[in-house]
Amino acid sequence: MDLDLNVHKDGDHSVLEVAGEIDVYTAPKLREQLIELVSDGSYHIVVDLEKVDFLDSTGLGVLVGGLKRVRNHDGSLQLVCTQEKILKIFRITGLTKVFPIHSSVSDAISAPAE
Amino acid sequence: MVDAPAGVGPATVRLAFPPEPRLLGTVRLVVGIVARKAGMGAEGIEDLKVAVSETCAVAVGDLTRAGRHDPIEIDLVEAADRFGVEVRDRAPAPAQDPGGPGEGEVDDRELGLALVGALVDDLKTSTLEDGGNRTSFWLRREPLLLDPLLTEELALGPPDPPDDLPPPLT
Repeated sequence: MDLDLNVHKDGDHSVLEVAGEIDVYTAPKLREQLIELVSDGSYHIVVDLEKVDFLDSTGLGVLVGGLKRVRNHDGSLQLVCTQEKILKIFRITGLTKVFPIHSSVSDAISAPAE
Repeated sequence: MVDAPAGVGPATVRLAFPPEPRLLGTVRLVVGIVARKAGMGAEGIEDLKVAVSETCAVAVGDLTRAGRHDPIEIDLVEAADRFGVEVRDRAPAPAQDPGGPGEGEVDDRELGLALVGALVDDLKTSTLEDGGNRTSFWLRREPLLLDPLLTEELALGPPDPPDDLPPPLT
């Protein structure tokens, strides 16, 4: 089990592609990546979860932490996800009201800032 | 042990693993295979994997904070209309992280337990007589849905071969 992270820039946004399983074992790697992005001045982040096979509460916590960090800089953290099994986790926990969730990276980037 | 419904002899698979986070993926893999063979549908299997993984992650955290390395035990119980899970650990008590969640973080433990409660039926937690914790729950086994294309093929037979196929070898 592993977690692959890939970052690329698209205009003002940093797009973080995540592939694999996000759980208590792998979530620290995601947390470090988000902290590094914010430390490097990336305050508008799109996290692409389309290749994520599993997401648990630790992963949710890391994403919430990332959102709080970018908001401290008047930034944004948006998600890309169309997988029902992952969306269900966001719905159950009420986090669909916290995160803007889009169906594609281009939709996320072109979405107006909230 | 999860009580099976009356009149049904449960088929149980028992797992034990050391409290190491890296093994949670293996646990999910095994739970998924057992649930699939028991006839659980895709959504039920995903719910089970999340619920078992969250429960075990809490146990791993509690044991680690207590400095314990006792194995975590899982019973997977296949019954007629539902699938049961019991997780047992030897953590002295559901210990709280003395530092609490870090700055900008949320309490993963509470969020995890809330997630389990939302996904499963009849969630029960208790302490073991000789120390430790027991968490059990059930999931209803929904009927398996066949792939519509497979259903059509079963009903109508295989599709005709395309016209441009070469003639069969003689």
